[in-house]
Amino acid sequence: MMVLVVGGSGSGKSSYAEKVTVSLAQESVKEITKSENTSLSDFKLNIPKKYYLATMQVFDDEGRKKVDRHRKLRNGKGFFTIEQPVRISSALEKMEDGDRAVLLECISNLTANEMFSEKKTMTEIQVTENVIRDIKMLKEQTNHLVVVSNNVFEDGITYDETTTKYIRAMGKINQKLAALADRVVEVVAGIPVTLK
Amino acid sequence: MKLIIGGTAQGKLEYVLLKYDVQKNMVWDGVLPNDRKLNKNIVVINHFHQWVKSRMVSGGCPEDEIMSFLDCNEDCIIICDEIGNGIVPIDPFEREYRERTGRILVQLAMRAEEVERIICGIGQKIK
Repeated sequence: MMVLVVGGSGSGKSSYAEKVTVSLAQESVKEITKSENTSLSDFKLNIPKKYYLATMQVFDDEGRKKVDRHRKLRNGKGFFTIEQPVRISSALEKMEDGDRAVLLECISNLTANEMFSEKKTMTEIQVTENVIRDIKMLKEQTNHLVVVSNNVFEDGITYDETTTKYIRAMGKINQKLAALADRVVEVVAGIPVTLK
Repeated sequence: MKLIIGGTAQGKLEYVLLKYDVQKNMVWDGVLPNDRKLNKNIVVINHFHQWVKSRMVSGGCPEDEIMSFLDCNEDCIIICDEIGNGIVPIDPFEREYRERTGRILVQLAMRAEEVERIICGIGQKIK
């Protein structure tokens, strides 16, 4: 199952996406126990391992605070964190074999990191291809994938060319992610609104 | 409490005035009423996001202030623009303003008996 969660800043999309990941991981445990008469030792083996793919690069105090806040939210929920600011599919190399439920947060950071490296700026087509290719790999090699993305499209401001390219890339990526996803949810003031 | 959200210029206020039969001169614009106990009429607070911003500028704590206001005025209607659906601003204050307004809305939505999102003047009930 792949779920795309979108929302604006402070919308509560992260906390909702965590809940979804945790419940998807729990559901698959139930499915396993229902379908097969597994012994307790097998049952333990089949519990999906929960991974949190963090894409934010921390440069300052504000960034650190944001990371701390998210860490606190996830605390006690059993996530294993992998810091992966670019080439998100290489996070797979850091995962254990077996069932996996993965929460990727978030596409806006990932896209910015891919697009604006120190060396050069990528075109919107290149970055869209790269991000989508990587996410397809993640989807294929995980049992559940929950992807968080941002709604950066509705502030009515005309930006410089670089930012406009970024917004367009984000728009394309979101559309492709929505097509790949089994479920798409927009979080509005903490309330999930189902789009697909 | 009822929470009405939506983009700017979507007809949120008109929607509320019509639906709840409120006169425009009864609407509080970007401020909370000083008088804490207003039993006579429905209290409508418009441009709630502007109130959040003004409290931030004055160094107040909008998160706590609105909750204690609601303790005394549980039946009010709060109208707020959705301001978080854009590029994260470079200016730290603007960034904080969007983030805090968003989080306050999450809290208000939890407390609200009803949440409606207005698009093109049409109300979409999301809670």
